[in-house]
Amino acid sequence: MKDGIVYPLLEIRNVKKAFGRVTALNGVSFDVQSGELVGLLGDNGAGKSTLIKLIMGIYEPDEGEILFQGKSLRGLSPGYRRKLGIETVPQGGAVVPYLDVARNFFLGREILKTRFLNILALSKMHEESARLIAETGIRLRSTYERVSFLSGGERQVISIARTLYFKGKLILLDEPTLNLSVKETDKLLEAITLVKNYNIGIIFVTHNVYHVFDIADKFVILNRGNLIGVYQKNDVTPNDLLTCIRTGNPI
Amino acid sequence: MKAFVKTDVLKVGQRHFPSIGILVSLAIIMIIFGIITPKFFKLDTLAGILTITAELAVVCVPMALLLISGELDLSVGSNFAFAGVLGALLLNRQVNGLLTLVAVILFGILIGIINGLLTTKLRLPSFIVTLGSMFTLRGLLLVVTGGFPISFRGQNVLLWLLNGKLIGEIRMSFIWLVFVVVCFHFILNKTRHGNWSLGCGGNADVAQALGIPVSRVKLFNFLLVGAMAAFGGMLSFARFGMAYPTLGEGMELEAIASAVLGGCALTGGFGTIFGASLGALLIASLRVGLVLVGAPAYWYRAFIGIILIIGIVINKEVMRRLVGGGQ
Repeated sequence: MKDGIVYPLLEIRNVKKAFGRVTALNGVSFDVQSGELVGLLGDNGAGKSTLIKLIMGIYEPDEGEILFQGKSLRGLSPGYRRKLGIETVPQGGAVVPYLDVARNFFLGREILKTRFLNILALSKMHEESARLIAETGIRLRSTYERVSFLSGGERQVISIARTLYFKGKLILLDEPTLNLSVKETDKLLEAITLVKNYNIGIIFVTHNVYHVFDIADKFVILNRGNLIGVYQKNDVTPNDLLTCIRTGNPI
Repeated sequence: MKAFVKTDVLKVGQRHFPSIGILVSLAIIMIIFGIITPKFFKLDTLAGILTITAELAVVCVPMALLLISGELDLSVGSNFAFAGVLGALLLNRQVNGLLTLVAVILFGILIGIINGLLTTKLRLPSFIVTLGSMFTLRGLLLVVTGGFPISFRGQNVLLWLLNGKLIGEIRMSFIWLVFVVVCFHFILNKTRHGNWSLGCGGNADVAQALGIPVSRVKLFNFLLVGAMAAFGGMLSFARFGMAYPTLGEGMELEAIASAVLGGCALTGGFGTIFGASLGALLIASLRVGLVLVGAPAYWYRAFIGIILIIGIVINKEVMRRLVGGGQ
């Protein structure tokens, strides 16, 4: 809120991006509110990943604007955007396989016992990561377990729980359910729903309508870089969305 | 917290068992040599093994940290030899012992920084960069020395402090060995730099995305390897009182072999300092053991090769079972 005006958490305003002659995004606009889960849908080559990279700060839009809490993100580095509260969970989760859960949880933002030699407060790191992961409802054997032993879903949950701890405001989930079993997908979706209740905005990128339909509030559909439509959940069915993705025609 | 079943077995097993492969290999080799020749277990022999281990371990331990962060340094052998020659030249010119040591280590740091900058800033493979600096340094060394060893005939307390006899045949380098292993174990396991090194080697893209300055972490590890290779060269020079331009040939491979035998993943992201130092102990035992049993000198390298292959097979299995390697 600024000057009495409540800004959306994230605003995408007429964003265009091209790579050489290929137009990846052609005038995309939508917004995300705090506590809202937006399903970003589209087939391969729709421009979903480009849009996520634009929000992360890996690319800058050629035209248009991306605003976070009313302020333009133009020119801000990915690291700075992360400090503002924009967290990304890439496919497979942002984790390193041979490190244990706690070390992964705090990787890059470790809790230090002392600034002298940057000595880690390992016990606290284990306690805090255990507490936060337990809050997402996922059961892990131990925070001493190496991530390489965890399933794909559990790895993603570590990244998501990490966002909670560091007070992230917006999570970008890039195809989180890809290659997960049915059970793992269910567990992960439960965890995502729990996170949403912390008033965190979520963009869930997928091409599987059924994975996101139950938990999403709104759907944004892209096709070959064009925005086909923004639909509230109450106005559409999964089949409508699927047809829209297949044909590239608005519902 | 209830969601966690904190099992001590899991905790202890996963943290410490990766070194079991090297412990078993070491025990088998020592027992075999002990059976063939009882001289192997004499105190003087063991002290000799420790001396060789120390000179190799001060290089292979930082090399393990560098491997863990996803890079390697092939120039350590040349750096090791250059340091010894530089130390001898400075001491022969009556330069103060402490200043000599500082100058030599600074030289090593410079080599490490050059290797690190070329690798991280120009995004070149460290294998190629350090192969280049390996040949460059060795060539310069031959130019400086004309291919002849440089001896130091005077007395200097620095040489005793570095590698003088402590008790019986046990040398000061043993103290340095313990010091280096403890320091690097601490860096890897208890500090943020250690965690970042593990992160960079495990998945550099993820590490970068999480805000870790990947280039800076790797550069610092190159610097440590450079400094410690130079320090190792000084240890060796202090033992012989003479610096050979051919010293340290093949050491780069022995250092990498020690680290890998000790459980370091060649692909980065995993390894232990304790394991790497045991790897150095195994290679030193092999070197001394083969001499004691009267094996022809040519056999040494062949044995190192065979042991390395066996060690990597064990390493891979340990990684798969205990660390979840390859996933």
